[in-house]
Amino acid sequence: MSSAVLTPGTAALVLFGAFFLLLILRVPVAFALGLASLPVLLIEPRLSPMVLFNEMFKSYNSFILLAVPFFLLTANLMNVGGITDRMLRLSRALVGHFPGGLAQINVLLSVFFAGISGSSTADAASQGKLFIEAQVKEGYDLSFSIAITAVSAVLAVIIPPSILMVVWGGVISTSIGAMYLAGIVPGLLIGLAQMATVHAYAKKRNYPVYPRAKFSEFLQAAAVAIPALVTPVIIVGGILMGWFTATESAAAAVLYAAVLSLVVYREINATQFWEAVVDTGKLAAVALFCVGTASVFGWLMAYYQIPKALLSNVQDLGLGVVGVGLLIALAFLVVGCFLDAIPAIIIVGTTLQPLAESVGMHPVHFAIVGIVSLAFGLITPPYGMCLMISCAVAKVPLRFALKDTLIMLIPMLVVLCLVIIFPDICLFLPRMFAPDMVK
Amino acid sequence: MSTLLRLAHQLLIALLGITVLVLMVPVSMQIGSRFFEWIPNYMWTEEMSRFFFIWMVMIGATVGVREGLHFDVDIWANPSPALARFLRWASRLLIMGFAGVVLYWGIEFTKFGWNQTSELADLPMWMIFIAWPVAGFFWIAFLIEKMLVDSERDDQHGMHL
Repeated sequence: MSSAVLTPGTAALVLFGAFFLLLILRVPVAFALGLASLPVLLIEPRLSPMVLFNEMFKSYNSFILLAVPFFLLTANLMNVGGITDRMLRLSRALVGHFPGGLAQINVLLSVFFAGISGSSTADAASQGKLFIEAQVKEGYDLSFSIAITAVSAVLAVIIPPSILMVVWGGVISTSIGAMYLAGIVPGLLIGLAQMATVHAYAKKRNYPVYPRAKFSEFLQAAAVAIPALVTPVIIVGGILMGWFTATESAAAAVLYAAVLSLVVYREINATQFWEAVVDTGKLAAVALFCVGTASVFGWLMAYYQIPKALLSNVQDLGLGVVGVGLLIALAFLVVGCFLDAIPAIIIVGTTLQPLAESVGMHPVHFAIVGIVSLAFGLITPPYGMCLMISCAVAKVPLRFALKDTLIMLIPMLVVLCLVIIFPDICLFLPRMFAPDMVK
Repeated sequence: MSTLLRLAHQLLIALLGITVLVLMVPVSMQIGSRFFEWIPNYMWTEEMSRFFFIWMVMIGATVGVREGLHFDVDIWANPSPALARFLRWASRLLIMGFAGVVLYWGIEFTKFGWNQTSELADLPMWMIFIAWPVAGFFWIAFLIEKMLVDSERDDQHGMHL
């Protein structure tokens, strides 16, 4: 805005300078974003701290974000209600006899978990408790066990349903049904890449193997797990059939998980149920509070047209879809190191959208590239939620598992590059099943 | 004093759980009304769920302050005890500053909503806006509690800031 006192450059300097200074002082990210916005709000005569409240209110007053507590509640109910246990048994019957059996189970369970839950942090927390200690007991290295738990947790936001896709759809208006379908193949490819990585590790370090499950054992495990495994079909199918909207699909997942744990598997009591609910409230609120302050920060960036200033140089480069795709992935990967994924979508996703549009990148392709990159941000230091949670479960500092995490990230980055270069990897499923949603 | 804060904390946790559960009701009703005629399809249910959602976020963020759930970035490799203490005090004072802003201007914000009502359910808006000053107040209370506990411990170890 021409009447602003601060130029875009000065405003950016104040905003980002204050933000990083606060991070160095170990102010939690959510508060750092809010505090960093204050100087500008006070300096600029046309603005006042009221903007803080207006923007936070506007960001929370959104029906779409309701999906966040619902997806977390689904995950928590799965864990206490015996759903996770049953999928664990099936995973063991399927991949337990591969080299590095328990770690393979860890990855495959994340794939199954991802199909019901849309939250990677919930996956990292529950599987951290389930696997890290057990793996170490069986002779796996601790840093390997932490790393594989953290990296496999990112699948939860790539394979539908996904909190990030719901938020993306709300902020950048892209069809959530189409994104859900588009996430399936990239998610499975990343899962495969992780299983290959485990295989390589297991061969090199002689990690243990379980005896192959009998076919009857497999059938039994599969039969018990089927009601849980059809969840993604119900959720994605329900959206495509128009049974419910994307936000409602999250509530449907809660209801389904509640019915499974309370009526079908019957392994949950009132105390556990209440604990799952309170835990959901805490996790969701802490994540969402940060969304509010990030919205203020993002609003100020837009007010000073900082994104436009940043992107003006990029648009002169004359990049194609692949070049822009790589650039977008890089931007999200870097931002993902310092921000949680949802605030990153709010601040950076909206910034990059015109760039993607200018080179004719398909909106769903743009969304998947962005979401996969941000999912990887969940395991990159210094602010990688999944890695932080896994390390917290094992009671070691983040640095401890860094090397193995970064090694495991390499094959995942290869998959990301493939998705960027060949958009059909993500686009062919939505084109096949929901052509209206991808135009 | 600490008993009072502990009670407040318990109360906030109970409210947090209730808001999460209450959120489920209107959304389930929305889905249900599409399939069963006997479930009414009220417009205000959506607005209600959004307002409970706002309270859930602000209450949860407040519980998060006392339980130390808000994530920070792990930049320092192995801070010395003195540096760690400095960082702890600095970050708490800064959060306290933010809490002060949220409390002070939050009261203005609530006054601003005094005569407004919501679009669908006709609810007075101050009932929602007041979540901010309430949160700000409890952040300050919980932060003072933490600082007192810390400074007592520092005194016992003969350390002073």
